[in-house]
Amino acid sequence: MQDKPDFYSLASNALKFAETKNSNLKCAEVYFGKSKFITIEIEENSVKNNEMGSSLGVSIRAIDKRGSLGFAFTNNLERKSMEKMISNALGMMNAGTGDPDFKDLPEHYEKYPSVKGLFDKELKALQIEDSISYAKDLINVCKEDEFAISQSADFSSSYTKAYVFNSNGIEINGKVTSCSITSNIIVKDKVSNETSFGFDWQSARNLKEINAIDIARSALTKAKRNLNRIKINNMKVPLILTPNGTISLILSPLASAINAETFQYKRSFLIGKRNETIGSELLNIEDNALMDGALGSSPFDAEGVPCKNKSVIQSGKFLQDGLLHNSYTASKEGIESTGNAVRSSYSSVPSIGATNFIMKPGDFFYNEMIRDVKKGIILEYTGDSPNITTADFSGLILQGNLIENGEIKKPLNETMVGINLFELFNNLDAVSKEFKIYGRYQAPYVRIKDVQIIGAAH
Amino acid sequence: MEVVDELKLFDDQLIEKLNQLAANKIEYWDIKSGVGIGTSLDFTDQKSKEVSSYELIDCGIRTFVNGGWGFNTLQDISKPSVIEGFKQAIKLARLSESLCKNKFKIKERDALITNFKLESKKNIEDIHVEEKINQVKQQEKIASKYSPKIKNTHTVYMDGYGSNLFINSFGSVIYQELSLIRLFSLVYAQENGILQRSVNSVGGLGGFEIIETDQAKILGSKSAKEAVELLKAKSPVGGKFTVIMDPKFCGVLIHEALGHAIEADTVLNKESILEGKTGTQIANVDVNIIDDPTMGQGKKYNLPYELYGSYFVDDEGIPSQKTEIIKNGILRNYLHNLETSSRMGVSPNGHGRASTNTSKPQVRMGITFLEPKDWELDEMIKDMKNGILCEDFQYGYTDPSTGNFQFKCKISYLIKNGEKTDLMRDVALSGMTLEVLNKISAIGNEIGLSDGTCGKGGQGVRVCDGGPYIRVEDVTVGGLN
Repeated sequence: MQDKPDFYSLASNALKFAETKNSNLKCAEVYFGKSKFITIEIEENSVKNNEMGSSLGVSIRAIDKRGSLGFAFTNNLERKSMEKMISNALGMMNAGTGDPDFKDLPEHYEKYPSVKGLFDKELKALQIEDSISYAKDLINVCKEDEFAISQSADFSSSYTKAYVFNSNGIEINGKVTSCSITSNIIVKDKVSNETSFGFDWQSARNLKEINAIDIARSALTKAKRNLNRIKINNMKVPLILTPNGTISLILSPLASAINAETFQYKRSFLIGKRNETIGSELLNIEDNALMDGALGSSPFDAEGVPCKNKSVIQSGKFLQDGLLHNSYTASKEGIESTGNAVRSSYSSVPSIGATNFIMKPGDFFYNEMIRDVKKGIILEYTGDSPNITTADFSGLILQGNLIENGEIKKPLNETMVGINLFELFNNLDAVSKEFKIYGRYQAPYVRIKDVQIIGAAH
Repeated sequence: MEVVDELKLFDDQLIEKLNQLAANKIEYWDIKSGVGIGTSLDFTDQKSKEVSSYELIDCGIRTFVNGGWGFNTLQDISKPSVIEGFKQAIKLARLSESLCKNKFKIKERDALITNFKLESKKNIEDIHVEEKINQVKQQEKIASKYSPKIKNTHTVYMDGYGSNLFINSFGSVIYQELSLIRLFSLVYAQENGILQRSVNSVGGLGGFEIIETDQAKILGSKSAKEAVELLKAKSPVGGKFTVIMDPKFCGVLIHEALGHAIEADTVLNKESILEGKTGTQIANVDVNIIDDPTMGQGKKYNLPYELYGSYFVDDEGIPSQKTEIIKNGILRNYLHNLETSSRMGVSPNGHGRASTNTSKPQVRMGITFLEPKDWELDEMIKDMKNGILCEDFQYGYTDPSTGNFQFKCKISYLIKNGEKTDLMRDVALSGMTLEVLNKISAIGNEIGLSDGTCGKGGQGVRVCDGGPYIRVEDVTVGGLN
């Protein structure tokens, strides 16, 4: 294989080969994905493993005049292997059922938006030896603390490049870099012998934004805050969600519920709610692919469609055009794709996903939100997620504390929260000015009144 | 057995060259490389959404010296690229070693030179895609026609077959040919504004016979029946209850609440509540828990194929074997890979597993189950005044550092005075691992296993878990009401 394959001629040959092989072919798309990465892993608060790797692969989506889709992929870019892949995709296409809802693949676009800061030269050039300082920072935070007994953590960086070509004239490529740090710290209270963990992470497109010390300190703070847990009685009190809690209970379920595919299959709890008020006016949500330097940003999506900034929920109202579409679900509704086609790699068919999914900040300072609570609960982490179809949530608080007289007190054991998302949206009574960015999510602290808490105290 | 062309480059000459490169620089190395071919069919409402196929070649090189590991995955595979990749991997391990504080050696093992071929009755590569599609269409049709209340059906079929080569610095050369199939059915039913869903799956190692069994054929209708039944189910009332768990629920409890805590890597990383607990009583004396991923168990369950979680050797070349985890309530063994067994001074027991050749092995379960005793299900129900029978699960999660777990049940029945009464949905059970193992008060006489994909550190591996019906006292049940 060549060191630097010419993706343009490989794609044009592939598309030509597909057309001549099958006269029923309506359109086809060729996608190349190329990536390389390095990772340093820490276990037992010591460097344990250094890893590197690269991958390169190609896939083809072929659709015939009946609307039947065939898909195939391989990581061998030699001509024989690519031709076999194309023949396989065409065979799959012939064997599939027709779909009258399929109109066409996206047409050629003249212009794409400009998004800055998605590629960091320094990060692409980063060698594993250069990343050691991040690992050392993580280890030192844990080593210097008397409660911390262990840490598993990693630093990783990657470079990816994607190429989309289709038979309707789409020809676009883009490269991005990213790096991330995770830290999971175990602490032990020497008196009570109780252990607990705290987890935090950060991900960015640019090396300068990453701060290992902050991440490890935050994980440590969370771990200590979860020591010496208590069981509580059932209660109906205000619930404060930390940014992580907001992601689990508000942003992540909403991102699934407004996925046009989930919606069209009638699996979303928001069916029948378009153009309706579904929550407090403090609820403002947008999906913005065009923020400079953000992890979910891109000028084009996985089908080569230009990306956008879209409002989803405005002052509690779920907007008529608040769904996330790829070209297929959009044409089913007779509209343009919103540029939300995503694929995890060349080996997957485009599905739908949020870009940067944002809950807009509010007017309260986080401290005020806590201070006003006589008795309540703050939730950082639950292993659970709401049911997207029924909007019901009933989950265990894995990291959360009691709030008493405006102060965060003891952490909780065997405590559950039960709430329906509509109730949650309507009962939002404060949103913080402060927010945190976790990957594709941007989330503030929020407060919800009158939430049912189920405790295990007798 | 002849090695496929793509893997012939790993000949004696190349191995000799790698050993020369490794000499005096690293203490251990292994390489996994393979060719995989597969199909995936995704149907919704009787129409194909995705019909796809793949062919992939992959290779991962792992190196070790004095406590430090290196791992390098290659994008193309040829003698020069393997040699170059190997040199880089040596550097990675040496860099790790220069930074790590936990120094240890990998205990030398005997070389294993062998071939394994999984026999199947109907080879996947001989089955035309049309025939696979027909099976999927049939599932979709049965599910859609089950009731006018069925709103949406979804069936996914995945198969794969391939050849894998494992070589290491002990001199092992292990070549395997495996094939597998997994089939999922997801059905939504709707009535009076209520939408309910049910998911079921079957999977196994072998050929097309896997989805021609009775168990596989009824998959779509089973999901449809359950989704329709759940429309009538009530929401549970929270509180403390005695609970009977079915084999599937028992399996997920054993796997999630206990299993992850006996993986020796979590023990060494101080993330396990079972650190330092071997030889101590952690469950009541009737409890015996085993992990046995050896081949040949399908026939015990009247299946014409091998269980989904089984394997010949793990991804470090250690043969799969039966391991006693809990015997008469006493914790006997952790599950180990090469590293954890070397460090804890025991023999490896074949649990170093990776999801692909380009992922490095972690300590993972195989086929984990609670051994049956002598109770009949009827007796357990008759004995119960006020309790809940839980069948099958939706999902579950555990905080490994505390053992606090929660599991969502798929179908539950309220039991009143020895009779099954109201059907309930979304019953959530929670508790603490070490407490619940002591609260098992009855163990049924017939074992059942279910298969799944277990996730850890970003990797998914094939597993099975199960047990008989069991009765557990004093379990916290959460609900919306």
